[in-house]
Formats: sequence, structure tokens, C-alpha cells
Amino acid sequence: MERESLWDHYMKKGMSRRSFVKGCIALTSLMGLSTDMVIKVVEAAEKTPLPVVVWIHGHECTGCDESFIRSGSPLASDLVLNEIALEYDHLLSAACGEPFEAHLDKTIQQYKGKYILAVEGATCTKDNGVYCMSGGHTFSHLLQKASAGAAAVVAYGSCAAYGGIQAAKPNPTGSSGISQFIGNAPLVKVPGCPPIPEVMTGVIMHIALFGSIPPLDNDGRPKQFYGNRIHDTCYRRPFFDAGMFAETFDDKGAKAGWCLYKLGCRGPETYNSCGNLRWFQGMSYPIQSGAPCIGCSNANFWDEDPLLTRMPEYGPLGNVDKIGAAAAGAMAVGVAAHAVVSVAQKNMKEAKELAEKKGE
Amino acid sequence: MADEIMKEEPRKTYYVFSPFLRIFHWIMAISITVLFITGILITTPWVTYSSEPTTSWMALDWIRNIHFLFAYIFTASFILRIYGFIINRGDRLFPHFWKGYFYRNTIDVAMHYSFLKFEHKPFLRNPLARGAYATMYVLIAIEILTGFGIYYMTDTSSLGGMLFGWFVPLIGSEYWAHLIHHYVAWGIILSALGHIYMVIRAEFMEGEGEVSSMFAGTKMLRHKPFDAGHLDGTLD
Ligand code: SF4
Repeated sequence: MERESLWDHYMKKGMSRRSFVKGCIALTSLMGLSTDMVIKVVEAAEKTPLPVVVWIHGHECTGCDESFIRSGSPLASDLVLNEIALEYDHLLSAACGEPFEAHLDKTIQQYKGKYILAVEGATCTKDNGVYCMSGGHTFSHLLQKASAGAAAVVAYGSCAAYGGIQAAKPNPTGSSGISQFIGNAPLVKVPGCPPIPEVMTGVIMHIALFGSIPPLDNDGRPKQFYGNRIHDTCYRRPFFDAGMFAETFDDKGAKAGWCLYKLGCRGPETYNSCGNLRWFQGMSYPIQSGAPCIGCSNANFWDEDPLLTRMPEYGPLGNVDKIGAAAAGAMAVGVAAHAVVSVAQKNMKEAKELAEKKGE
Repeated sequence: MADEIMKEEPRKTYYVFSPFLRIFHWIMAISITVLFITGILITTPWVTYSSEPTTSWMALDWIRNIHFLFAYIFTASFILRIYGFIINRGDRLFPHFWKGYFYRNTIDVAMHYSFLKFEHKPFLRNPLARGAYATMYVLIAIEILTGFGIYYMTDTSSLGGMLFGWFVPLIGSEYWAHLIHHYVAWGIILSALGHIYMVIRAEFMEGEGEVSSMFAGTKMLRHKPFDAGHLDGTLD
């Protein structure tokens, strides 16, 4: 069976060339490409067969799906129904049971080396992975099976990328990111808890249209979406630069919309597109709503508490600055004492030497 | 009694530190001070209530820029250190932890510092100090790697990104890189305080020329220091 391209699809539906090109332009900007790439996108959309996608879920809360189905451009419904062939999805498929699992095997066979594997959720590694089962097998088994023939693997969400909430200390199930189970398949990490809807659709469309994974940073995240810190794209940044901060959630600064740095904002450590894309067709993002960023797209953010201060507190000792200042104070006292004893010792020594001299 | 002690003593001059090391040292002293103060201010900035973002001039933006500027100056000054290291043996006073005498002498010095002995053997640089300075360089290396690692993460394909970009993913998260940077900064500043005390003590109580040698490059000593052979290569 020849798979049709996006253009074929538009023609079959009787849609105009104009709306096709418009769609391509929307896709271009969504994928973070410059406008001179439009022509390439149109070419790809004319010729490249629509990709087959297998979407599996491990240890997670399905929040990434919740995010995904709110994608505004392209509309997630459009993406699922028209632009990709979503053959298998734990959440969105109507089928279930043995026929459903058989369909997965068939898809993997038929499109070997061509399908995109989207993974949501962490794998569990403890006790042979029994804490996360899917279709009668462990999730790690499914992951190995499905990634073996995948053209590319997309790790959606911080769980698939780094382990996520279930990997928080003490991590009873041994949850971790998926990378150790996918063999040599090229991996794109799309972290976030959840990722921004348009980022999720943008990445998959890039792979679909160009047949290659987007340029990645040294952590394996697509540069066009994770190349900037939230802090560097945040609209509250001028307040940061000017030293204007909210210090509590109800002070003057908070009401005036000043920077949330002193309330533990993780924007300076977090790479994501919240600052420029924002959420839900640009409606808002956490900082805009007055909540400091918790760095949900960072590896290990779940253990970097407390989220509302810049640095960890060590009980009554306070943070490292308090401890350090106390240590410096203690050191000053110690040094003074040491100096006094040193002088005393020196005097003793000299007195002794003198006495010895006189004795000679 | 006083003039009986202050008798004429023959002293010998040892040329230890090259000018490159000395200049580096003072750049380092200034840089560490500035970097520490600005770093603390970046983590816990003061709050300005009376300005407009567009008109304020001496705020966090500037403090950060000063921090970055001195980070560059300090790192660049290592060129001097390395050059001195190559051309002058006195710039190469390693802790010889692969030698038995290193440990024996360390114990000797430690006993003197804890007042169990009246004095320790004379050294150009005693083994305890050598160990401490080596540790200091390790701490500084951590600061450079975490600092530039964080700094260049927005441009991973630049030269700086390629040089330092691998380090933050190695730590696991950028937040941890920030914390390590901050904690190690405290380690450096506390060591620096200890260092200042110890050199002043060595200069004025033991006559070891620790402070003056960092200006003049030479030490004038009464006794032949145990490690004098490190200057001409007769002790390895
Ligand atoms: S609110 Fe957060 S991300 Fe925005 S400028 Fe302040 S610290 Fe940076």
C-alpha cells in the first residue's frame, strides 16, 4: 500500500492549493524554521508520504496527551486525522485487547524502519520492570520491541526524557528515562511536564516532513524549542535586570508583576519555549499568571525542592549563605585564637633558646 | 635582651616566583573577591523599590555583567600562570604526593601548626600549603567549568558551548550546576581567608617571606629550605 502525502490528502479531500500552502506556512513557523524554508516544506509536503506513528505510554500521568490534544496550530485533531497516521496509541485508540496488540505487531512489521515511535512516560527498571505493564508485558519490553524498527524515537515529556515525578527520591520503582531501552534508534527528547502542545506537534511534523530529526542540543533536545532559557525570553526580565522583585506572593512587587526570582523562579535554569510561544495559542504561561517557573522541563526538577526559594534550606541552619557566613565567623575566631597561641609559643621558644644560650 | 635576639643573620636569596605567576596571583585575588561579592548579590539580590526598569543603572544587570567580565579576566589570566609554569621551576611547586617525604613533612608541619612542636622544617613552600593550593586549583576548575557551562548553554554550537557545554549535562541539571558553583564559591572564599592568615603568620612569625615573595618573587631565608632542590631540579 502506497502511503499518500499531505498534498495527496488535501487533493483527495477537495481542498484548494491555496489552503495547502497556507497550511505549509503555518507548519514552517511552527517548526521554528525561517520563512525561506517554506519552499522546502511545500516540496516535502507534496512528496513525502505521511508518517506512521506508534505512540506508547509508560509510567506517567497522561498529562502530555492532555497537552497534545490542545495543540492549536496544527490542531491536534487535524494532526491525528490528516497529517500523520497514528496507528497505535494507548490513549486515543478506540480499539482494545488482543486485536489492538495484534495491530501493533502488524504495524511494526509492515512499516519497519519507517515509523516514528512516540513515547510518553518513564520506564521502570526495578524488579525486571514489573511495576509498569502493557499488554501483558513489561513496558521496557514493549519499548525494546517498538524501538527496534523505529526510524526515530520521540520522548515526550520529562518522564520519558529523564524519569519524571515517579523517579523522585526514593524512586521505589527504579523509574528512569527511556534512552537505555531504545538501542541505536535516534532519540529526540521533548521534555516538559507537560511539553507545550505546539512543541509536541512541531517536532513530530519536522520528522514527518524532512525524514530526519531536528537539530539537537547536547542534551538531545530540539534546539529550535529548547535553545533559550525561559529567563532570556521572559517578559518580566526587565524587572530582573533592574533589581525589582516580588518577595512574597502578596507584596507590592507581586501585584505590580515584577520578577519572581526571589520566589524561587527556575526560569534562569530552564530551557523551554514558554517565554516566546506561551501556552494554548499564546494565552499565558506560569510566570505570566504570577507563579514562579518550577523548571518542569529540566532533568531532576522533581528533587530540586524547595521550589519557592533559590537554594535548599538545611533546617534551622538555613541556606548555604548563612552557613558559609557562620563558618567565616567561626574561622575568624579560630584564626585569632591560633594567632595568640602561636605568639605565645614563639615567645616560649625564644625564651628557651635564650636560656640555653646563657647556659652555654 | 632584644638585641641579643636580633643579631645579624646571614640570609640567602632564593628566586621562586616568576613575574607571570605574581601578576596572575594578584589578578586572581582581585577577581575572586569581585566574583564572590557579585555572585552572592546575584543569588540574593537587593530589591529596588524606587526605580523604573528603563532608568535604573546599577542593578542586577550590571552586577551580572561585572561577574562575567571578571570571570573572563580571571580565566584569561591563566595564560600567565601557564607560561610561568613552563619557564620557571619555582612556579611548579607541586604537592609531591607520590613521594614518602611529602607525607612525613606534612605531618611535621601539621604538628607544628597544632602546637605539638616548636617549629617545622623550613620550606620554600611547605607540603601542607602545596596540598591546599592544589585543592584550590581544583575548586577553581570546578567554578570555571560550571560557570562557563551555564553561561554558554544558550549557544551550544559556539566555541564556548563546545568547550564547556558538556559539563552541565554531566552534572545532570543546570540547577545543580548553579548550586555546585555557589557552594564551591564558599569553599574558595573560606580557603582564601585561611590562606591570608597562614601567609601573614609565616611572614611575620616564621620569617618565611610568604607575603613579600609574592611581590618581589624572591625569598630571603636563614635556613636552607628542605625543598630548595625543587628550584634547581636536584630534588625530585
Ligand atoms: S520571572 Fe523568572 S524567568 Fe522571568 S525574569 Fe524573573 S527570574 Fe527570569
